[in-house]
Amino acid sequence: MPEWLEVVIRSLLFVVVLFLITKWLGKKQLSELSFFEYVVGITIGSIGAEVITGLERNMFNGIIGIVVFAAIPFLAGLLSLKSKGFRDFIEGRATIFIKDGKIMEDNLKKEKYTTDELLELLRKKDVFKVADVEFAVLEPTGDLSVMLKKENQPLTPKDVNLTVASVKEPQTVIMDGEILDEPLSTIGRSRGWLKTELEKQGVTIENVFIGQVDSYGQLTIDLFDDKLQVPSPQEKPLILSTMKKCQADLESFALGTEAKGAKQMYSKNSEKIQKAIDKVTPILRG
Amino acid sequence: MTVGSDVKQCFASLKGVEASLSSLALRTLDDESKRTLHEAMMVVHEVTKDLKKRVGELEGEELQYKGF
Repeated sequence: MPEWLEVVIRSLLFVVVLFLITKWLGKKQLSELSFFEYVVGITIGSIGAEVITGLERNMFNGIIGIVVFAAIPFLAGLLSLKSKGFRDFIEGRATIFIKDGKIMEDNLKKEKYTTDELLELLRKKDVFKVADVEFAVLEPTGDLSVMLKKENQPLTPKDVNLTVASVKEPQTVIMDGEILDEPLSTIGRSRGWLKTELEKQGVTIENVFIGQVDSYGQLTIDLFDDKLQVPSPQEKPLILSTMKKCQADLESFALGTEAKGAKQMYSKNSEKIQKAIDKVTPILRG
Repeated sequence: MTVGSDVKQCFASLKGVEASLSSLALRTLDDESKRTLHEAMMVVHEVTKDLKKRVGELEGEELQYKGF
């Protein structure tokens, strides 16, 4: 067997082995979260490279080495699931860098971080002013997690007492012009429904690049042909505006009529509609 | 145009709103939104009942525009 052919065979074999090992270790290995994953990543790579090109050596010794190196973080992962102490020892603990808005200089020194590096980490979190930070902690992975002071945190609907309608995740039902049946059945719709919706918007299925259905059953699409304009769903705003119009009508009837009973009935109903409008506005506005 | 026909139009629009709210409530996956939409639909339904009665009364007064 010529040497180059052996290298090809070894390479292919090791790609498979490395693929299987990484699958086995799971997502944690890919993110290189802790010391073990970091070291194992480097070492397995080196062993692989060494064995593929070092033809004088036995290939299976390399595989044994890789398996052993993969088994150690696997066992460590199992153990650290059970014991908090072991976990702290293996993966390290978080270090508090900023507390109550004050930088902990001793902790910086302990982790050998310079002020510049701290500022850099803060900038990566879009924080340019140390005074904006209430609390910051260096995770064992080397990431800085930052909690801003309340006045610097982004405004949420809760802060302004705004009620918002809750939504579920949208489902992608059309991809590259093809209907995906599984998400479609998740939301309890049929192909027939989808075709009718597309007809309503005046497009053919072949022209749809991506189509999603939100939790209110509205279909939004993006077309291959970007020159075509797709109307955004109008149903909800339309209901809301009709309700508002009827409410105003009822009010004007109440003002217009002379009959006592009718006047009362109109204004009572106008109030009822107004209350209903207030309740559904967060849903219909979106 | 008479008051009668205005009220009739409003009645028709509200009927439409009732149907749209009902169909939206049926299609909505989120339970809380579903309930809110359904409640709004019930309120609109009560209002249409009152309006229908009023339309009947008005027709008694404006006999030439009788439709119901």
